[in-house]
Amino acid sequence: MKIWTSEHVFNHPWETVTKAAMQKYPNPMNPGVVGVDVLNRHVDTQGRLCSNRLLSTEWGLPSLAKTLIGITRTNTYIQENSVVDPKEKTFELQSSNISCTNIVSVDEKLTYRPHPQDPQKTILTQEALISVKGISLSSYLEGLMAKTISANAGKGREAMEWVIRRLNTEIEELAATAQATIRIPMAAAVTEK
Amino acid sequence: MNSVGEGCTDLKREYDQCFNRWFAEKFLKGDRSGDPCTEMFKKYQHCVQKAIKEKDIPIDGVEFMGPNKDKP
Repeated sequence: MKIWTSEHVFNHPWETVTKAAMQKYPNPMNPGVVGVDVLNRHVDTQGRLCSNRLLSTEWGLPSLAKTLIGITRTNTYIQENSVVDPKEKTFELQSSNISCTNIVSVDEKLTYRPHPQDPQKTILTQEALISVKGISLSSYLEGLMAKTISANAGKGREAMEWVIRRLNTEIEELAATAQATIRIPMAAAVTEK
Repeated sequence: MNSVGEGCTDLKREYDQCFNRWFAEKFLKGDRSGDPCTEMFKKYQHCVQKAIKEKDIPIDGVEFMGPNKDKP
């Protein structure tokens, strides 16, 4: 489930931004990222570069907190998967925290592509997604909604059938009554339906 | 930038230099000629695998394969 999205425009062409994004760390704005490793990388059959990277981050805990919580290591790890498509000019990255108790995880997805109105610019779309136990929350909810919608749609169709049957019955009863009073013209009109 | 494995940083830097050059000068320009960094990557990857095991980092769904193998 998307909980946050944002868009940003860089006044640089897509190739420049992509090269930079690939070498994003280290940088002074992200001092917490202390290590970047490529776990795997290959060019797929469609000519896209697929990479799997591990980001090591370190964050300072006050020593009292360390004593209380008993954490000695303050490293967290982020696993990042990315695809660069040089033909379509897209660079898509998805990253998520690695933890031993992956009940709720927050994933981030970034897409860099040329700005549709200005090829000298690049547009970055960022999304944050939440999943519960590896199942995307949105698919869980969407699944629920889809079931409800289809159940309602089914009910709706049944309801229509019922109403049509009821209307037909009313017409027939009306016809029978009419036949008894006004003979041929009404009967002809009703049976013509 | 360092590697997660302290002993792998030099291998990582060598590989990164090679990769960044190939990425900018060949790959992004549509040049499909082979990746010249494969040997360097193998050495680096081997080192990182060991470091990850040693540090007990739970990597999800990664198969450590050489760059020449086809992904299933």
